[in-house]
Amino acid sequence: MADSYPTSIVLTDGPLDLDLLLAQMTLPTTGAAVIFTGVVRGVTWRGQPHETFHLEYEAYAPMAEEKMRQVAQEIRQRWPEVQGIAIVQRVGRLDVGTPTTVILCTAAHRDSGVFEAARYGIDRLKEIVPVWKKEVGPQGETWVEGHYHPRPGE
Amino acid sequence: MNSTNDLSFSGSEEMNRVRVLFFATLRDDVGQRSLELNLPQNTTLAELEDLLIGRYPRLERMRGLMLAAVNRQYAAPDQVLPKNAEVAFFPPVSGG
Repeated sequence: MADSYPTSIVLTDGPLDLDLLLAQMTLPTTGAAVIFTGVVRGVTWRGQPHETFHLEYEAYAPMAEEKMRQVAQEIRQRWPEVQGIAIVQRVGRLDVGTPTTVILCTAAHRDSGVFEAARYGIDRLKEIVPVWKKEVGPQGETWVEGHYHPRPGE
Repeated sequence: MNSTNDLSFSGSEEMNRVRVLFFATLRDDVGQRSLELNLPQNTTLAELEDLLIGRYPRLERMRGLMLAAVNRQYAAPDQVLPKNAEVAFFPPVSGG
């Protein structure tokens, strides 16, 4: 009954309610949920160690929503057993310790690809969804640059 | 801040009016979020990019690196811009 599985795409400058999202993606047949959430990291050790005060997110909103929907469709094609899919991206100023994004996938059982689906969702969001973040720290402001170049139509 | 610019003979019905958007570092480089341009028919995405780099030299460092979307789809450099297209230029994405 893939037609009746819920999909939620949210681009928002408001706070997140993980409990509500989970409830919205939970069906009577659901027995597993995987929630990935990105968090604003205050202290980074990997690469060039540095401190972060907060992040400022910017989006090309209408395209970002279309691409988030595309990511959800790609998950459905690859893992047909996944039931609910919620993809959330926050924009605006986000302080250290705050959730920034959520990929939430539910399924009947944990061995249905639900872990891989959530992992794919966040990796793909970071490739094709037009959102950018600026780091504000002791050294001032720095835009974070991505690396992925999507193919035409991707 | 928006601005309107005619890049060729103005007032002609053969011109294609497109809306150009800039995000993140590219917006900083250009100094504005959007502009409206009247372009000759059959202008390609690559031609528009060249034109913008000529007008905003700070974009030069992003030549070949910036991403472009035409009507919210990632587009090839040789794509001809459709009528009244919305064209967005931005660096590789860094959300999440």
